[in-house]
Parts: sequence; C-alpha cells; structure tokens
Amino acid sequence: MNQKQIRWAIGVLGALGVATVLVLHGMVFFWVPTESTMGIVQRIFYIHVPAWWIAFLAFGLVALCSAVYLWLGDERLDRAAVAAAEAGMIFTTIGLLTGPLWGRVAWGTWWEWEPRLTLALILWFIYLGYFLVRRSTVNPEQGKRFAAVVGIIGVLDIPLIHVSVTWLRSLHPQAVILSAENPMNLDGSMGATISVGLLAFTLVFASLFLARYAVGGYEHELDLRDASPGSIQGAEA
Amino acid sequence: MMDRKWFSRWTTALVLGVLLLQASPVWAQAGTVLGRQTLGRAYWHVFAAYAIVWLLVLGWLISIVRRLRRVEERLGTE
Repeated sequence: MNQKQIRWAIGVLGALGVATVLVLHGMVFFWVPTESTMGIVQRIFYIHVPAWWIAFLAFGLVALCSAVYLWLGDERLDRAAVAAAEAGMIFTTIGLLTGPLWGRVAWGTWWEWEPRLTLALILWFIYLGYFLVRRSTVNPEQGKRFAAVVGIIGVLDIPLIHVSVTWLRSLHPQAVILSAENPMNLDGSMGATISVGLLAFTLVFASLFLARYAVGGYEHELDLRDASPGSIQGAEA
Repeated sequence: MMDRKWFSRWTTALVLGVLLLQASPVWAQAGTVLGRQTLGRAYWHVFAAYAIVWLLVLGWLISIVRRLRRVEERLGTE
C-alpha cells in the first residue's frame, strides 16, 4: 500500500466508522429493548464486548507482527505492532473501566479478584510492559526485539481469559457470543445491536490503526533522513 | 492537508452530540418498569461508560494528530 492508498483507506474507514457508531447509539438508546433482569445497565454490554473484541484483535496483531518481525526484521512490522499495541492498550482500558461500571450495579461491587477480571488486568500490565521494555534499552533495536518477545508471550493470556469463565469458578457472566454450545444466544434485536457494535468498533480501530501506522512511517523516514550524513545539504540542493 | 480548525471543531461537535444523545431518555421502553429506569445510579453508569469509550478514543485520535503535526513541523524546518 502506498501513502495515497493508506490515506484513502483511513478516510473511508473513518467515515464508515463514524456513521456506524451513530447507528449503534441510535440502536442502543432508541431501539433495543431493556434486558429484563439487569435493566438499563445491561446497555454497557454493547460497548464492553466490542471493546474486548478489539483489544484481543489488536493484541493478536501485535503477536503476529512481532513474530514475523523477529523472523524477517522488517521495520514496517514493528511499526504495525506498535500501532496495534497502542490500540490494544486503549481498548483494554475501555474494557477494564466499563466492566466495573456494570459490575457496581449488577454485583454491588466495582471489582472482584475473580479469574477473568484478574487475567484481564494482567493483560493490561503485560502490554504496559511491552512499551516499557521498548524504551528501557540503550540500543533501540534491542528494545524492539525484547518488546516483540513480550508481545508474543502476552497474547497467551487471551485464550486463558476466554476459557476462565468455563474452566474456573467465575463471577463473570458466561460467554453469549462465542459460547461453544449456543453461539449468539441473544434476542434478535440485541444480537443485531451487538453486531453493529462489533462492526463500528472494528471500523474505528482499522482507521485509527492505519493512521497511527502511517504516522510511524513518516517519523521513521524523517529519522533516517536526519541520521544520514549530508541530509541537510541534500534537502537544500 | 485537512484544515485542523475545521477538523477539531467537527470532532468536538460530534463527540458532544453523541454525549447529548446518551443523556436523552430511553424512549423505546418508556412504558415498562425497567424502561422508566432512566434516572439514578444505573443510568449514570451507562452514561459514564459510553463517555469513557469515546473520550479515550478521541484522546488517541488527538495523540495521532499531534504526532502528525510534529512530523509536518520537522518537514517544514528542512
């Protein structure tokens, strides 16, 4: 993809993302029925689940790009991993903040040290570590390689988070979308709303991920230009 | 390049619009007991959750735009 194509993709995905977000808000606040046992607080579900979907997608991308970066040493893959890791941190933070807002009303407590919540918090710290390790070495190339290893190891936490509600004693509700026995076990309108939520978050993520990746590319080009001898004369010529 | 004032004005308007949309009553369930649950703690928790999402996403967008601006400034000085 050249820069013009990336800009076009950012614009199209961003516009579609904003439009889908508006549709999602319309559906959540004016259309979908209120869940019978939890009441209005259940509406947090329509952003909480998509936030975790994007967090997992982003960290999957971090692991994939990091693994191929360690293999091929292509700088573009490292930049893609960093862009995905930033997105992962943002959406993990969203998941960790919106969950307790639901839990305070549904469980009567902001936080419980139960398996899923604890593993989710560990995921956040693993990716905080990803950024800290990148900056902790004198040699930036070494920092990138260490961070790539953290990115690959960190993604192992995601399947544990997924199975924690079935394998371990957990307060967290069972999976309703990726349930093995009964996938998408939801009322039709709720299923439609969560699907729009997943699409909206995916489009927003895709546009911002591409934008962050493109900015990283510009910065890299400028760093290379600054580092090369005679760059100023070259620019003036 | 996109006009930054235009961009920031419209982004702010969009975020405020979405937040105001959330502050409106849940009209779809106005007749039911749970549908009348539009005030109180549960309602404000929903409002806070949606506000957190879009403020964090907006924050990330602003950080990307600022990085892009720094790149442009570096290009301008060369």
